[in-house]
Parts: sequence; structure tokens; C-alpha cells
Amino acid sequence: MNSPLMIGFLALTFLTCGSAFFMLWTKNVLHAALAMFMTMLGLAGFYVLAFADVMAVSHLMIYVGGVLILILFGIMMTGQRTSKTGQTNELFTEQKGRFWAFFIGLTVFFGLSWLLGQQHFYAFSDIDQHSKLGRVGLSFMLEYSFPFELTGVFLLIALVGATYIAKNHE
Amino acid sequence: MNEIPLIFFLWVGAFLFATGLSIILIKRNVIFVLMGVELMLNAANLNLIAFSRGDDQNQGLMMGLFVLVIGVCEMSIALAIILQVYRRFKKIDIDQFQSRN
Repeated sequence: MNSPLMIGFLALTFLTCGSAFFMLWTKNVLHAALAMFMTMLGLAGFYVLAFADVMAVSHLMIYVGGVLILILFGIMMTGQRTSKTGQTNELFTEQKGRFWAFFIGLTVFFGLSWLLGQQHFYAFSDIDQHSKLGRVGLSFMLEYSFPFELTGVFLLIALVGATYIAKNHE
Repeated sequence: MNEIPLIFFLWVGAFLFATGLSIILIKRNVIFVLMGVELMLNAANLNLIAFSRGDDQNQGLMMGLFVLVIGVCEMSIALAIILQVYRRFKKIDIDQFQSRN
């Protein structure tokens, strides 16, 4: 229980869960975006600890490099001028039904933990601690070639569609 | 011999999922809700990766990579739609959308 791996896991747990909870707590959209950045960093660390290096790198590139920039652009372009309190804070977010949301969240968390604690999972094989990059590349070309191509076409269609939707239709 | 037990990953995934769900329920800003959806998606992804650890065929890892791409598609299209909604209504509160019945 005292290995460096475990200590790293605990540190990452504090980082990820803390910033996720800060996302829930804050009312500022920009702060939430930065907290989401920290959450994504922690998740990439978890992927490293689960020996999935390909996933960690692609997660970092896509979320920190792509999605977060997209969210920041979205926040900038949709600044709300007025809020209910009268002050012009464009990043302030209304909240409603705090108690029920906390209650449902706690219930889901403890319910899931209880449910997962009841199960007995066993692994197919021993945990492979080596890099999985080569095997992932081979799998993309061999048994997952059709989903791979399909995902590429899907991504193209989604990006073209997003560009078309975001166009100024006047 | 000092690998992290699987259940720890699952606990973290459960926490992230519950937090994302609470964010969706609490916040009134559509971008905020979208961030909660992302959090839930990544919690599910973490479970896939954690289960894929003890699988020599890496099925969960491949599924996780596909989920990543789908999540990005969803994010880009959702932000484009939010932009259009903002252009039309000058507001992106969730409560502004009410059906007239």
C-alpha cells in the first residue's frame, strides 16, 4: 500500500476529485473551465497509472488542446450581459435546486460504490506493464479497421456539420 | 506486485460520474451542463481503461479511443448549436426553453 504508484494514485485522486468538486462548487464558468483542465490532467495521469499510455497522450492532446480551447471560445462568444442580481458579471451562472442535486449525486456515488464493491472482478490475464502503442496500432489496422474508418468518416461529417451550423445564417 | 486495485479506479469513476450528474442538475448555463456531460463521459472512459488493464486484447482501450473521438464530435456540434442559440435568443440559460402548452 506504500508503493510510489499508490502515492501517485492518491495525489492524482486529490487533484481529479478536488477539481471536479470545484467545478460543481463554483459559479464562474471560466473557473470551471480551468478546473476541468485540471481534471483532465488528473485523468491522463490515471490512464498512465492504468498502463494505457496511448490513451493518456491522446486524451491530453484532445481535451487540453482541443476541447478546452473550444469551451473557452464558447464562453467568450456567449457572454451573458445581464444577470438576475443586476450586476454585469458575464461569467456568473445561475444555480437552482442545490439540495436535490447534491442528494442525487451523493446517492449515485454511494450506490455505484456499493454496487461495485459487491462484485468480484477477475482479470483475463496478468497486467501488462509495457507500452501498448504497437498493439493499438496493429489493432486499428487489423480487427478494428472498419470502426476506425467509420470513426474517421464520422469525425469528418461532424466537423463539416459543426462548421455549417456555426455559420452565420442571414 | 504493487499494482493499484481495480476498485480504486472504479471509485474515482463513480465520483466523477456523480459530480457530472450534479453539475448537469444544478447549473443553468448550457456550456456548464456540457462540461458536466464531458465529465460523465470521461468517468465512463476511465472505467473502460481500468478494466482493459487485465485484458491481453486491449478491447477496453480500443473502445476508449473510439469514445474519445465520439466525445469530441459531440462537443464540437453542441458548441456550434449553442452559438446559434445565443445568436437567436441572446441568452443560453436552460430555463429559457419552455414549451407553450
